[in-house]
Amino acid sequence: MAECVGVDSNTSGHSMDKSITLPPDEIFRNLENAKRFAIDIGGSLTKLAYYSTVQHKVAKVRSFDTTAKLYEISVQEEVTARLHFIKFENAYIETCLDFIKDHLVNTETKVIKATGGGAHKFKELIEKKLGLNVDKEDEMTCLIKGCNFVLKNIPHEAFVYARHADSEFRFQTANPDIFPYLLVNIGSGVSIVKVESEDQFERIGGSSIGGGTFWGLGALLTKTKRFDELLQLASKGQHTNVDMLVKDIYGGSYGCLGLTGDLIASSFGKSATADKEFSKEDMAKSLLHMISNDIGQLACLYAKLHNLSRVYFGGFFIRGHPVTMHTITYSINFFTKGEVQALFLRHEGYLGAIGAFLKGAEEDNPNQYSWGENYAGSSGLMSVSPDMNPMQRARSGTFDMLEMDRLERQLVNLPLLQDPSSYIPDTVDLTEDALARDYWLYCFEDALDGVVKRAVASQPDIPEAVVRAEKFRQKYRHKLLTLRHQPFAYGSLTVRSLLDTREHCLNEFNFPDPYSKIKQRENDMALKHYQRTVESLDALSWEDRQFALVSGVLAGNVFDWGAKAVSDIFFLNLGVDIILGVMPFVRELLSRGTEVVLASNSGPALNDVTNGELQILTERIAAMDPVAGLQEDRLTLVQSGSSSPCLDLSRLDKVLAMVVRERQTDLVIIEGMGRAIHTNYYATLSCESLKMAVIKNSWLADRLGGKLFSVVFKYEVPLGKVHHNGATLMLS
Amino acid sequence: MCLSKTVGHSMDKSITLPPDEIFRNLENAKRFAIDIGGSLTKLAYYSTVQHKVAKVRSFDTTAKEAPNDKLYEISVQEEVTARLHFIKFENAYIETCLDFIKDHLVNTETKVIKATGGGAHKFKELIEKKLGLNVDKEDEMTCLIKGCNFVLKNIPHEAFVYARHADSEFRFQTANPDIFPYLLVNIGSGVSIVKVESEDQFERIGGSSIGGGTFWGLGALLTKTKRFDELLQLASKGQHTNVDMLVKDIYGGSYGCLGLTGDLIASSFGKSATADKEFSKEDMAKSLLHMISNDIGQLACLYAKLHNLSRVYFGGFFIRGHPVTMHTITYSINFFTKGEVQALFLRHEGYLGAIGAFLKGAEEDNPNQYSWGENYAGSSGLMSVSPDMNPMQRARSGTFDMLEMDRLERQLVNLPLLQDPSSYIPDTVDLTEDALARDYWLYCFEDALDGVVKRAVASQPDIPEAVVRAEKFRQKYRHKLLTLRHQPL
Repeated sequence: MAECVGVDSNTSGHSMDKSITLPPDEIFRNLENAKRFAIDIGGSLTKLAYYSTVQHKVAKVRSFDTTAKLYEISVQEEVTARLHFIKFENAYIETCLDFIKDHLVNTETKVIKATGGGAHKFKELIEKKLGLNVDKEDEMTCLIKGCNFVLKNIPHEAFVYARHADSEFRFQTANPDIFPYLLVNIGSGVSIVKVESEDQFERIGGSSIGGGTFWGLGALLTKTKRFDELLQLASKGQHTNVDMLVKDIYGGSYGCLGLTGDLIASSFGKSATADKEFSKEDMAKSLLHMISNDIGQLACLYAKLHNLSRVYFGGFFIRGHPVTMHTITYSINFFTKGEVQALFLRHEGYLGAIGAFLKGAEEDNPNQYSWGENYAGSSGLMSVSPDMNPMQRARSGTFDMLEMDRLERQLVNLPLLQDPSSYIPDTVDLTEDALARDYWLYCFEDALDGVVKRAVASQPDIPEAVVRAEKFRQKYRHKLLTLRHQPFAYGSLTVRSLLDTREHCLNEFNFPDPYSKIKQRENDMALKHYQRTVESLDALSWEDRQFALVSGVLAGNVFDWGAKAVSDIFFLNLGVDIILGVMPFVRELLSRGTEVVLASNSGPALNDVTNGELQILTERIAAMDPVAGLQEDRLTLVQSGSSSPCLDLSRLDKVLAMVVRERQTDLVIIEGMGRAIHTNYYATLSCESLKMAVIKNSWLADRLGGKLFSVVFKYEVPLGKVHHNGATLMLS
Repeated sequence: MCLSKTVGHSMDKSITLPPDEIFRNLENAKRFAIDIGGSLTKLAYYSTVQHKVAKVRSFDTTAKEAPNDKLYEISVQEEVTARLHFIKFENAYIETCLDFIKDHLVNTETKVIKATGGGAHKFKELIEKKLGLNVDKEDEMTCLIKGCNFVLKNIPHEAFVYARHADSEFRFQTANPDIFPYLLVNIGSGVSIVKVESEDQFERIGGSSIGGGTFWGLGALLTKTKRFDELLQLASKGQHTNVDMLVKDIYGGSYGCLGLTGDLIASSFGKSATADKEFSKEDMAKSLLHMISNDIGQLACLYAKLHNLSRVYFGGFFIRGHPVTMHTITYSINFFTKGEVQALFLRHEGYLGAIGAFLKGAEEDNPNQYSWGENYAGSSGLMSVSPDMNPMQRARSGTFDMLEMDRLERQLVNLPLLQDPSSYIPDTVDLTEDALARDYWLYCFEDALDGVVKRAVASQPDIPEAVVRAEKFRQKYRHKLLTLRHQPL
């Protein structure tokens, strides 16, 4: 009564033409630097994984020797690590291996890790084509390793499926504490695995009634040999024609046992005695219900028995099939009365390949890093519901990709989050809010011309920048189009994910920091006004000064990123945000004797100040402003770990978290529309907090019931916690 | 779910026993109950029996002198005792039976007949017309549980473990007076899993739509065989490994690091997904049987563990008298619990509903306050239905099956000084398991029969027809001994 993991092996055989619809070099990217290959070959799909490095241009700032300009910007090459995962049909395997062989430069690679039921079948071909030794890895171990990796590193990896809800997929916030969980892998059979830690898992149960049973019995009953077609049949059938319901026996519900009339009393019960033909559709549907319900009940019982509340479903029976996700979800809801939710994974199909790759990369210890999904290079989740996406069939002949970037800094929770497991960074989920989605997609599309212009302008000396900028435009426009049809492609769609996707696309085409020059100019100008600004502030009474300081922070805020209403004055007013707004505010805190931890972006994002720039600015200000603290270590500058105008407090730089803890921080100030409105507006912290921003978008202002340029100044104190003498964290 | 959608036999409708040997003591019958399933009807009634009992009486010591120096006086008296009758027959006979009952029913106090089972509504009118009684429907599950409690408490050796290849096919369990809590898995068309905690407290804690109806329904679609019994026959001849995908079919052997042996079924019907060939009816039926039995077995184990129950009884038409299904269910339970839980079956499983319905109607008599004993003289006993072991089985199924329970005058309980009542076995040698001893004792009792008959006649020297009765006794007991030789259970 086993199940079988790799029995993914006998998956649905598509019959499609074998032409590759994308040029292979857009699929197998960065092959020239590739090393550490892994491959997971299932019954119909192959998943290839490799590690590569990417050269990026990054804008670095360097302090001048106090000459004219504030600081120098230089574009440097930086090498970052990236994981590539590509999924394609087995039919293309030979073509793909040829392409890889032709482009593989690195000759250090001697071994390719392999897993999946098809691995032995293609072993010789791989060894011959690539000249690598195939090293087989245990399927279940790979599957679990892959699962742990995506759950830990990809926010919004897991989702709940709700066919008839406004948003088909409801993504779960990533809980850093992923263990323990139950993984129900539905291949030919079913394996039920309890995962307790990175290296500890146990197959606690299983069943022989799985995907192979649906397929095998379905083929016998309907003479339909293809798995996909069987599912299609099932989605059109009426199981009540074949199944005996409670009401067929009792005429209605069986009240004293709590059974409703529509409950299936006996699967295929009607075909036992009725002397008639049953339609293929009805039989397929009945079979699907029978199997899904059975697996659902088993999963619930094992979850209860082992006291587990998180149950993930995977395997070819589930993979991308809304019909099976729906019936499994229904069954779990029925059996647990909503206590347990059926969870699915966006990258479920990649788990084996990711795990096999990780097995081969253990010496690099990939688990010590944080990784982030590169939206620019990842296909995203497809809706395969035939009603929702008629393009599906066409798509399945193409390639699917996932790219993960190794982040320079390890990311952790902000220790001051009240409840990390329920924290949701984003204020509005655009997947669920269709009106808001339409607006923001329009807004970003509308702003695209401006972004392209700015990108070109940021590299005036490089003529081919125009070409790259045009490529960027195409890519981002395509992403926006995809997101319009599949808002769930990268998890919940949010203003943050739209901004991040744009940053990823800009990076993709080597526009690392289109605003660097503007920022430089603005900072330069602002710095000239700094002295005068603080002098006039100092002249005010305490109360007036507080108002003026807050206004300063907010005024700067008006002029930051992409607000449509103010875009024409955009260029004039950039630097004021940090130098004339935030710094005087910080200065006031310091002069009160408060320690301040000032966090800024690690990497560039729009016109937000980066940690590198802020280091220089602070030095310069300290040189001209003798206020106590600027020179001493009462002001600490840290990186946030983010390169986004928004902020995810569950993915912050580890050093920041450490400093926050060391300094016993008890006030958190979050400033700016991206950080305090689009994200974190509802974030609950365990200490006092202040969220400040100006609403610079008239649509949003309308929505919030206010006017354009209204001020949000949200001060929250958790019960019984008033800030005394700990440090203040300013997230700017 | 659905306890009642049973198997349709097709047999001739002649009654093979004279009806007055089946519906015994009808003249005193009151309190009727009936459980009508998909193919079998179970009738229950309460009656009284007049017995001659030998009573002894001390002589009056004040009398002048003791006659003949005898210690006490023996007198034969009539005593009335209560008896429960349960009769099971095919639905085909229901009209004939109702007619017979109507003709012999003397007691006119009875106004109501309790009815349960899925077929109860179908025959409601017929019963009301024929018997002139009001049909009063009772909940199936409640009846089932009531009946189950009753047989477990009152019939020693009611429950048994099934072991197809062991010396004795059935291993009976000693009755534990403390029967609660237990799990009842009723496999009718669907499956109901019921936790029984006390006489009146039970809860359907689970169930499954994959049950007897699924075996029957899918089996019919796959093999074009419409009869349940035939499907089981097919299954007992098939090879499931031709249809199922085994662990070794995928991994070439066992999947060691997960502890899965190579012969384990990885995917039921997994081979029919891709193989382009015809599969035999036998193989498909066998695969289906395994699939369903294993699934129910696993669910039963999980619910037993979750509710901390160690006794799991299986019933319903999927199980009833079918060694094939008892075997696969037993196998599955052993596999999933590694022997921690035993699959238990009941000798009178088919009567549970009728017994329960009867008890519902007899609540004012409070039958649960008495002890009851099986009257071996009036009960058919368990049949071996394994075709190899008992070739007479087919012939038999056209007949009637009876169970009679006598109300005992005294309530019986454990000797309080028993060290461990639950493990106490009164008998020293179990003749079911010891074939040599069995042969000897059966021979011995047969040999002694002549003497017993003589002694019986001699005990009633004043009654000439005693000879006739003694001869009837001889026939009945010899028949019982013969039966026991073939079916020691």
